[in-house]
Formats: sequence, structure tokens, C-alpha cells
Amino acid sequence: MSVFSELRRLAEAPHNDYLAAAARAGRPVVGAFCTYVPEELVHAAGAVPYRMRAVGSSGTALGDTYFSSANCSFVRRVMDQGLRGAFDFLAGIVFMNGCDHNRRLFDNWRHANPATGFSHMLFVPHAGSPACLAQYRLELDKLARVLRERLGVEVTDDRLRASIALYDRRRRLLRELAGLRRAPEPPVTGTEFLALMLAVTAVPPEDAVELIERALEEARAGRAPAGTPKLRIFVTGSCLEELSHLELVESHGAVVVADAVCLGARTFDRDVGDAGDPMDALARRYLARVSCPRMMDDVKGRMAYTIDAVRAYAADAVILEKLEFCSMMSGENYIAGHELAKAGIPSLALTRELYGGEVGQLKTRIQAFYEKVGNRS
Amino acid sequence: MIYAGVDVGSLTAKAVLLRDGRVAAWHVEPVSATPGESARRVLEAALEKAQARRDDLTRVCATGYGRHEMTFADLERSEISCHGLGTFTSNPVVRSVIDIGGQDCKVVVLDDAGLVDDFAMNDKCAAGTGRTLELLARTLGVSLGELGPRALRARRALPVSNKCSIFMELDVMQWMHQGRRAEDIARGITASVARRVAALAGKVTLRPGVCISGGVSKNAAVVRELELALGVRFVPLAHDPQIMGALGAACFARLEHERAREHDRRVLRASDPVSSVDAAATPDCAGCTGGAP
Repeated sequence: MSVFSELRRLAEAPHNDYLAAAARAGRPVVGAFCTYVPEELVHAAGAVPYRMRAVGSSGTALGDTYFSSANCSFVRRVMDQGLRGAFDFLAGIVFMNGCDHNRRLFDNWRHANPATGFSHMLFVPHAGSPACLAQYRLELDKLARVLRERLGVEVTDDRLRASIALYDRRRRLLRELAGLRRAPEPPVTGTEFLALMLAVTAVPPEDAVELIERALEEARAGRAPAGTPKLRIFVTGSCLEELSHLELVESHGAVVVADAVCLGARTFDRDVGDAGDPMDALARRYLARVSCPRMMDDVKGRMAYTIDAVRAYAADAVILEKLEFCSMMSGENYIAGHELAKAGIPSLALTRELYGGEVGQLKTRIQAFYEKVGNRS
Repeated sequence: MIYAGVDVGSLTAKAVLLRDGRVAAWHVEPVSATPGESARRVLEAALEKAQARRDDLTRVCATGYGRHEMTFADLERSEISCHGLGTFTSNPVVRSVIDIGGQDCKVVVLDDAGLVDDFAMNDKCAAGTGRTLELLARTLGVSLGELGPRALRARRALPVSNKCSIFMELDVMQWMHQGRRAEDIARGITASVARRVAALAGKVTLRPGVCISGGVSKNAAVVRELELALGVRFVPLAHDPQIMGALGAACFARLEHERAREHDRRVLRASDPVSSVDAAATPDCAGCTGGAP
């Protein structure tokens, strides 16, 4: 069986056999809500880091008792899943102040208190200045103390270095696989790559490395699932985990060749390295890698990253994704649309609800956009 | 050669047949339970009007929400592209299209070939669409066809929200309970829909040569309110504005056929072995007697 079929299976369920095996081996699983939560730290505390997701969500009925309809569908769906027991395998969750919706998710989670162990909020500064870096470093120390208290494992420098080395390896392998998508016939579609990202952030990193190596082996063997795409697409956004949505984006002969999303470049951009104090290095990497729109001092950096990547991957156009009521992505997409137009790169802003349907309208917009880009070529 | 365009929307299905570059026949009817069945019926009706048969069709292009269900079509195009090319074909001065359909509203900006240059489309809310007009006409107790003429006889427009169809309905009911004139309420409804569409149009830069298409373009009151809101005078179309999507689809069917023919010609030329070219037999070779070395 192709490893991509296995990755798809792993991506479509909140829990999997790898996590069950880790639990049997006595390893706790700790959820993390954002790419600004260093998984290395959780791993060095003896736990399996697990990227929180709404995969398998059937609705928001329970989540809506805590949130208003003007909150984003990600927090409503994750809350709903939590209240239904989908994350009861967790020993704890590290929340993060990514946006106001996520902050309220932390409050509501603590109030509802589902059986998901401890809840800790990692406060990440909204900029990358030296003062912010120092503050973030203190927050990481605090997280290490919480993990020691909750899991009983001291995060020593040696343990942290070993975890960093493992995660740097995972990042390098992911970058290598992503780089193969530069080919005229990409060996991996955007949907397959997203499935891989969902899978490797839901299994122990040791298993993740093995899965990515198998994917690389298959990719190098010359597979080309979509042939030569009619259009090569770059996708930006934040929370994007619906495989069905990327399949829609990849309809009409288009293939997503690169991205700037959480379950994508933000996860594997830039290594931590093995020089100096490991906690310092960890803090530096997380504040220096390709940023998310929550970081207020790096709009230019994000625009430059997108335009450079569009050229490096020979993308024909950009799709700017956002979830309804995400104010951060609204501002970001407005700026990005203008900056991309200045660079002569066509873009389409899409607003959707997570697992929210509206397929007919989205299809029409996407198809019309591709026709428009095709008219120009 | 006959090219067909079939547009199955949320309320009506439309078919247009193009013969020798002209509209040979067209037909509109309400959609039935399945888009595929609606498409077949409306196409058959158009063929009957043109006294043609299915076998006479060179190519069929599908568009509208039901486009994926038309298994008999040779190609499909988005309704955004089709409304653009359809209106451009109907009046070559058109460069911007306001299309208000049953459940969505689009603003399309065209290039000088009638192809899409930019567009905006309403989100999931139906507040600026034909469905809203249908709902509010029913609430007001008048037919959809009567809503526009009533609004044109109004003395003033009573305020009606444009945020949501349900809130609009509440406003309409409130005015009715107060015994206000149906004409003034109707004007409030049409003005509200027009404001909503004008806001959508603000998302793109309209090019001069603005027209209106789609079923709602038949509501004279909405058209007038929209012209006022946008500060433009809509350019006329040579055909029924409701069939612009289907007309555009038929034009794409023709374009696709011409492209394929051109491609075949090029392939043929490229694959011709040099030795097989008989220069003496080649016509129109000016100045060449066939004996040139």
C-alpha cells in the first residue's frame, strides 16, 4: 500500500494506532494549539506532542453553547469535539494566545473542564524584537516548569538537545519533500501534502520521521499523481485542515505546489540548530521562522516570503484563505491582495467556514478565478 | 454548425442555440428536481424552436450551479465567465456586468475580448438576490412580476434593512402592520436590494459600459435604484438579459470548437512530411510557378 494512503487514513481521524502504542508504552500525549508552541519542549518532557485539530467534527452544537456564531468555526468545532470526548486521550493541552478566539477557547475549556488533563496558556509576544524574544524565553521556561510538575519529567539541556535534533530532522525531511513540488510534474499534490502534515503532527516524531522518509522514497521514485498541472497554485492562510477543501482548490487541473499555512511551511521553515543554549535557540527559531499574521511587526517579511516562494515554485496564482470572522487574516489578505497585484501575481481571497459546505459557491469562484488566470496566459 | 449553451441556475434553466454566429433559439423554464433533467428539457425545447436535432449540435457548454450534472455537455465554464462573454456578445461595448440571479449576485469586469478580468461575488447571504425578492413579494402579498411596477408607483421608499433576508422580512411586516402603502414598501425592498448589490460592486473597479443581467434585471425598480446607487446608466443588451449565461456558454462552445480545429490544423501541418508537399499543386503561391528550386 502506498504510504500516501496510510497518511490519508491518519489525517482523517483525531486518534490513531501510533498514539495508542505510545500510550501503551507509558508516553503521555499533550495537545498543542499553534505552531508557536515548541513541540521539542513537550517531547523533551517525555510526552508526544499532538497538533490540535477539528478532524472528525460533525458539527458545533455543543461548541455553540460556549461560543457565539461570530466566533471562528475552528474554535467552535474543536470545543465541540473536546466536549464530546474526542480528545480524552490527552494528558494536557498547551493553549496559545494566537487570537482572541483562541484565548476564549482556553477560558471556555477550563470552565467546561473536559477530561483532557491540564490546560496551560503559553503567552507568545506579538513581535520579534529583542524584548519580545526575552519574554518568549521566559514563557518557555514557565512551560518547562509546568510540564515538569504535570508529567514529572525535568526538561534538561541534554533531553532538549535530543528533541531538537529529532525535530530538526523532521523539518529537513519535510522541506526536502516540499522542495520536490518545484518539479513541472509535482510528485505530491497539495491535498496529499496536507494529509501528510496532519498525519505527522498526530504521531510520535520518531514515527513521523519514518513516514516522511517513506513518502520521500515514493516521491523520488517518479510518481506524478496529477501529471502536468494546468495551473500551479500557492496557498496562504492560517487554519487549513480540510482535505476536501484542498481537493476543491485542486479541481479543474490545478495543483497546490507550495503554501504559507500553519500545517505547512510554518511548521518546517528553519531549523533550531545545535549551537548554544538549547532553550535560547528554541526561542530564536520560533520567533524567526516564517511568521503568522498574529505577529504585528513582520507584514513585509510575510509578503516577501510569499512572493519569493511563488517565483521559486513557479506558481501561477495565489489563493488567500481565511475562516469567517478571522480578523487577522482579513487584514492580512487585504494587504496581500494589493502587494501581489503590484508584483503581477493574480490572487483570489476565499472565506469559508471550517468543514462548512458552501461547495457550490466556492467551486464557482475557484473555477472563475482559474479561467481568469488562464485568459491571461 | 450549431453551438449550445445550457445554464441551470437555482431558479431557472436556460438554453441558447447559436447558428452562424446568431441566436437561433432560446428557452427558459423553472428548474425541476434534478439539474441534469432540467438541462435536457430546456435544451430539447430550444432545439424544437430551432427545428434542429441533438445530432445537429457541434458542441454543448454547460454553466450555472447545475453545470457538473450535465453529463452530455462537451465542456463547462463558470457562470461568471459565461455572463461576461454573453453580455459582451450581446453588446460589444459592455465591460462590466452586474448579474443578479436567483441565489447569488456577481459583478464581473471584462477585458476587450469579453473575458473575465476581475469579479466579485456575494457570500453565502442571499440578501441581494432574486430569492429575497421572491420571499419579500410573497410577504407583501404581490406576485414577483408585480413588485417592480408597484415600486415604481411609490411616493417614497420606506426603510428596509439590507443585512439579512429575514431582517428585511421583519421590516416589511412591520410596515404592513402599520398600514403603510404597499407601493412604498415595495420601493423600500427594491432600494434595499440595490444598495446591497452596489456595495458588492464597490469591491471591484467598474469599467465604463456597465450592463445588468440575470432574472432580477427584469425588475425595472431594482434596475432604476441600482443605476442611482452606482451613478451609471446601464447599456442595453440585444437579447433577453436572463439568457446571458447560456449565451456566453454557447459562445464558449464555439470558441472551444474553433480552438480545437486550429490545434488540429497545426498538428496536421507539423506532421506533414516535407517530401509530400507538392509545390505545383499548392494554390495561392504568389509569384511561384512551381519550378522554383
